[in-house]
Formats: sequence, structure tokens, C-alpha cells
Amino acid sequence: MNNFVRTFLPRLVAVRQMSAYPKHYVEPIFTREAQLAAKEQDEYNKLLHVPTKATKNDESLSVFYNPIVQKVINYMTYGGNKKLARELFDKSMECVKRTQIERINLGKLEDATADPYALLLQAIENSRPLLQLTAIKRGGVTYQVPVPITEKRSYFLAMKWLLEAAREKERKVHFPEKFAWEILDAAYGQGRVIKKKNDLHRQAESNRAYAHYRWS
Amino acid sequence: MRIPTAALFAKRQARTPQNEAEVPFQEILPLRLKNTVSGKADSGSDVACLQEMSVLFACLKENDFVEKMCHKEITQFKRCYKVYMDRKATAKETINKGIVTPGKELNYKQLNKYMRRFPNPE
Repeated sequence: MNNFVRTFLPRLVAVRQMSAYPKHYVEPIFTREAQLAAKEQDEYNKLLHVPTKATKNDESLSVFYNPIVQKVINYMTYGGNKKLARELFDKSMECVKRTQIERINLGKLEDATADPYALLLQAIENSRPLLQLTAIKRGGVTYQVPVPITEKRSYFLAMKWLLEAAREKERKVHFPEKFAWEILDAAYGQGRVIKKKNDLHRQAESNRAYAHYRWS
Repeated sequence: MRIPTAALFAKRQARTPQNEAEVPFQEILPLRLKNTVSGKADSGSDVACLQEMSVLFACLKENDFVEKMCHKEITQFKRCYKVYMDRKATAKETINKGIVTPGKELNYKQLNKYMRRFPNPE
């Protein structure tokens, strides 16, 4: 039937050609914890005989897999060049670890971790904003109105700010180095990204009178 | 001296009432209710968690924007917004299902479905 439609009525009928999976395919459960959690419930037996999508090629149940780390790499990617982004990310992780170990050996830090991934996650966690400001026009005047933020967007903003801060550098400094500094700064609650977050909070606080303006 | 306007026109006669026959009534819009309601009012206001937000701001200002000191307020604010969003999502889901349950709290889609069954006589 579909073939007939495509050959004889090419422009009249819209055929979804780009969708890889039919709608009844379910998302895969690929992490160990999620699988165990599904096994606890009856859900697991239901899923056994349901057609399932393949896992994406950057998702795995490896111990090195972390969804947030993957997101950072995706946000770093420029012009589809993910390979380069991954290389730069690995370099910056190495840089974080080297500087951190150096600091520990110099005795500057007490009981600090040298795990760059933990530091990255800490940095992202520290730079997450609590709210955001949206421009709302009322009577010809645009107000910056403080609005609560979803968890997903707060993570996105934190990563975006970290990367923006890392990209804003002198020409002679390499990206991985600068990114590593920003991560270390943010992980210890200092630096430009944390300042940016606090500035946003301050501005939101001074605009708190407009909070009831939002409607959209 | 300024003369009050009421005094100036006091001598003139009052306007004669219009002749009803000369001004026939025109039914510009049909004089009965429509069989539908618009969904505009249902969108409602998006203002949520104002109380929590003001509490959070007070705490942040007191502690010079150090988040560690306002842990309780932050979690409360986040939880409030999450609950609000969840409730919104479930409400949307029930709207899209289009199940009509008799009762007072009907949204516009349910009302339209209901009124289509009992339309106004033409």
C-alpha cells in the first residue's frame, strides 16, 4: 500500500520517511540501576516482549558513563565536530587533575579529591542558578521578572556559563587549560561563573516586586 | 464672570423621545448563547510559588547570597515549583484524553464536548 502511495501519489500524501522507529517502540533502559529498579516492579516483564529502540551510541552502562559529562561534551561540540570536543574535554580533565594534584602536594588543600569528574560535577552543581529572569512587556515597559527554573534548564545554564567563561580568554591560552581553571574555581565556589550566578540572584532579588507580572 | 453651562441651556426644551417605529431593532449578533466556549480563560495565570520565592529572597538577602545558609528555603522553593509543574502536566494529560466526567470543574474541551450533546435550539 505504502509503495503504491509513494509511486503514484508522490506529492499528495505526506509520508513520514525520516522517522527511524515506529511510535510503539519504547525507550531502552540501559543503566544498571534503572534495570534493577524496573526488575523490582512488574514493569520489567511487560517490557520483555515489547519492541525496543537501540541504545544511543554515547550511552552505556560503563562505570565511566555519566549523563552530565556527556551533556558537557555535547554542548562543547562546535559544527558537529564531536571528536574534537571529546579530545578537548579529555585534555581539560587531565589539566584539572594535574593542577589539583599539584595543589594537594604543595599542601594547599586538605582532604581534597583529585578526581576531575567529581570536580566537574561539583563545579556544575555550584554554578546552577535558582531562578532566571524573563523579559515581560507591560504597558510599553519591559520588566525583568524573576521566574522559577526547571532542573534541566538550571543544569544547562550552569554548563553554558562554564563553557562561555572558558571560551572568553586570551589567544595564547588554550581552551582546555582555561576550562580547567574555570572548573576548579567553580568547584571551590569562586570565580567568574559563581559571580555570574550570584549577580543573577542579586538582580532577581532587586526585581522581586515584579514577580507577580508573569503570566505566559 | 463665568456662567455655568447648565444655566445657559436651561431655557432650551428637552429632547423629544425617538419614535420606536422609525428605529427598528436589528439583531446584529444572535440573541442566544453559543454552543461553544473559547479556551482562553483556561490558560490561567502562570504565577506559582510567589510565597516561597519571597521567603527565599529574604533569606538570601540576609545571608549575603550564600546558598549554604538557605538550604531549607531553596529545597522548599524547588519542591514547590516541581509540584506545580507536575500538576500542570497531569492536568494537560487529562485534557488531551478528553474524558468528560460530570461535575463542576470542567475545562473548555470537556465543556464543548458536553454542550455539543445538548445544543441550543436553532
